[in-house]
Amino acid sequence: MSVTTGSIPCAIPGSPLDLASGGIDACVHCGFCLQACPTYLALEDENDSPRGRIVLMRGLVEGTLATTNEDVHTHIDRCLGCRACETACPSGVPYGHLLEATRATLTAVKPIPFVARAILFAFARRPLMLLFMFGGRLTRALGLSRLLASLPGRLGFAMAMLESTRASITRKRYSPDSSGSRGSVAVLTGCVMEGLFAETNRATERTLSMNDYSLVLAPQQRCCGALHAHAGDAETARTLARANIEAFEAAGADYVAVNAAGCGAMMKEYGQILEHDAGWHERAVSFSARVRDVSELLAEAGPRTGGALPLTVTYDAPCHLLHAQRIATPPLRVLGAIPGLTLVPLNASDQCCGSAGIYNLVEPDVSNRVLAPKLANIALTGAPLVATGNPGCLMQIGAGLQQAGVGVRAVHPIDLLDASYGNL
Amino acid sequence: MSLALESRLAAIVGEKRVLARPSELRVYESDGLPGYHHAPRLAVFPATRDEVIDVVRLLAETKTPYVARGAGTGLSGGALANGVVLLGLHRLKRIISIDVENCRAVVEPGVVNANLTAATAPLGLHYAPDPSSQTACTIGGNVSENAGGPHCLKYGVTLNHVIALTVILPGGEIITLGNPDGEDDGIDLLGAFIGSEGCFGVVLDVTVRLVKNPQAIRTLLADFASVDSAARAVSAIIASGIVAAALEMMDAPTIHAVEASIYAAGYPTDAAAILLIELDGPLAGLEEDVARVEKFCLDAGARGVRIATDAADRARLWQGRKKAFGAMGRVSSHLVVQDAVVPRTKLPAILAEIGRIGVARGLTVCNVFHAGDGNLHPNIPYNANDPVESAHVHEAMREVMEACIAAGGTITGEHGVGLDKLPYMASLFTPSTLTAMCTLRTVFDPEQRSNPSKVVPIHSCREWHAAPSARP
Repeated sequence: MSVTTGSIPCAIPGSPLDLASGGIDACVHCGFCLQACPTYLALEDENDSPRGRIVLMRGLVEGTLATTNEDVHTHIDRCLGCRACETACPSGVPYGHLLEATRATLTAVKPIPFVARAILFAFARRPLMLLFMFGGRLTRALGLSRLLASLPGRLGFAMAMLESTRASITRKRYSPDSSGSRGSVAVLTGCVMEGLFAETNRATERTLSMNDYSLVLAPQQRCCGALHAHAGDAETARTLARANIEAFEAAGADYVAVNAAGCGAMMKEYGQILEHDAGWHERAVSFSARVRDVSELLAEAGPRTGGALPLTVTYDAPCHLLHAQRIATPPLRVLGAIPGLTLVPLNASDQCCGSAGIYNLVEPDVSNRVLAPKLANIALTGAPLVATGNPGCLMQIGAGLQQAGVGVRAVHPIDLLDASYGNL
Repeated sequence: MSLALESRLAAIVGEKRVLARPSELRVYESDGLPGYHHAPRLAVFPATRDEVIDVVRLLAETKTPYVARGAGTGLSGGALANGVVLLGLHRLKRIISIDVENCRAVVEPGVVNANLTAATAPLGLHYAPDPSSQTACTIGGNVSENAGGPHCLKYGVTLNHVIALTVILPGGEIITLGNPDGEDDGIDLLGAFIGSEGCFGVVLDVTVRLVKNPQAIRTLLADFASVDSAARAVSAIIASGIVAAALEMMDAPTIHAVEASIYAAGYPTDAAAILLIELDGPLAGLEEDVARVEKFCLDAGARGVRIATDAADRARLWQGRKKAFGAMGRVSSHLVVQDAVVPRTKLPAILAEIGRIGVARGLTVCNVFHAGDGNLHPNIPYNANDPVESAHVHEAMREVMEACIAAGGTITGEHGVGLDKLPYMASLFTPSTLTAMCTLRTVFDPEQRSNPSKVVPIHSCREWHAAPSARP
């Protein structure tokens, strides 16, 4: 037994983790995060818990654990980055920030896995990303995704994800009218959202118009960089952030509306990821201050009540909405504006579904173990629809439901509001 | 030897559930008091009762010392496995049965305290002992430490809510303590086991009492301009005969830490102290008690008393209190959480004394505690990497403990002795009492392999004195 004494110099000076390491000191090892952590609950090892990973990070900083240590890589890689520990932590440990800094430090030693690298490479290059999404739509249109969704393993799951992006509800067309009195909005159309959920993007525009926001285009916008930041590719994340700041500054709207929780969380943190970039920090902070989840803007406006939509729905909170952006009630306000809609509470709706960006493709085993209780809880509600406002969650839960063959579908809350407005 | 043990343990629990590499043992170096840390020799994580039995019997056969650990949220270093085998029980998290008619449940040791209450809530029942760490700590750990919590003022501690235990003794024998259907004949061994801090054996299952949820609950937040007036209000409430469900005090530094956190509860940040008072029971007569408590607070000098408006407001007030110690990471990088008891009437004097000790050593003392039963938790946030400050903290803690003992109190109310309070045992107990404790321990654990060198300082045992050659 020993009692901590003595001052320890940083073993990895100048590394991203060194710069972020002040955050480690906030942890007093109380353990209140343990039961909030999906990987701890699934794997039952403190190495796979927030408190445990912080101990590993501390070891890296103090030099008692090498950046080449395989165990450290394994347990840091296995983190979903859902940040549910942050909303459980009384000390305010900036866990998400520490995780990204740790990954950025570790990728210098061991490169990001091939599958992940390929995806990140494509997302950072617009033509490639568009081609990738076109391929997805083609596969879906040809019915290949339906055919292959039942295959075991990663390919089958990826196909089930794709298959789950088909529209889950039917809706009537309507022409929204907008007074524009609530200000102007530029929508982040995103990569997966525009590629596979284009109708949800249109629904976002229509519902914002119906609530008196005027729309402005931001044609130069890029991928938000969230996947890159989460994986430890901080440099690409910063490049994309700068490009987006420029694009949305040019658009000049009052707000930047985001309907993908993961992207919204990232864009609200541009100020933080560009903290050490003197030329951009101030612009990034003022950009981030204008970013809103679409549900926030709609809740701010009421939202306006729609037409009857007699559906039974349960709601699952995307981690990057609830834990990263701390947005809990606005999506419920959106659903509450739909007459005839019955909302059934979902047990453990604050727990991650295991999607976590591209985690489900990189760590399929753990991802499935995290998804299983989510599907079980959804089944308990008896609702035929589960609403959630993030493409990753829509596809992860959607694929799980698809493979389970239970006939339940995942849907974006904005699509439900849009359908309700169509019934006015 | 270690290799052989490792592979034999792996044969029981599976390879992935035995950790032996230093880089994987690192996270199990400490419990909730990380100032003390030392890696275990091995860590083993059984998932079932049968696996626990096989593991304990293998440890007995190989005469291997071990430490049982629940969630590792303890605050006395009690679950620190310094160089011995760490036996993690958190995977045994099954609620075996809930008997609504008899208001009891049987649970495995790794069930998280708050999960038991969550599971029984739809039945109108709850598990009353509610340590602040209840969202993380396990029932098995609660049994070992005889855990308390804010609501133990009215409802009693773990000891009052455990009616039977199945235990595997360090030698491998399985015994049942207590009797779910009534009082056991003979000596109360169940009472001896609860609070034995892992020195008597490993719990396999726990039969707990469940309590009916009260018809009505009122939570009051009283705001004081001085700690002294808050302490006087506590004494007045207790003296009146009103049994509050909980009666908690928090001082200004604690309020500030909580209000800066995600658990901000709306506590007045300009108060010197607040009292969180809960009254519960049948609706009849409750409002009268609320009015009387409110008057006691105002008479003692409260600047105001507010009553929680609804369940959400009440939950928020409680979350702030329960997460207070975790919130102190905001003040400094390390924290000592202390636990001592004084007679309630000595509260104003001892709080003044603790304040004086802190000031004399240039330390911030954050007090958050169970005022109703005189159970103090002076917490000192500090930087453990600063050797001078660390030394001051340890000295201050010793002085606080000595002051509590001098006031007729004791060195732990609910966190246990573990490792942290070993040095104070000799100040509190005579050598013959300590020897009696050692003797009792050897009844359960003759080889002293279960959580070795904790709770009772080994040098206070007569055998130790008798055999100087055995000294380390």
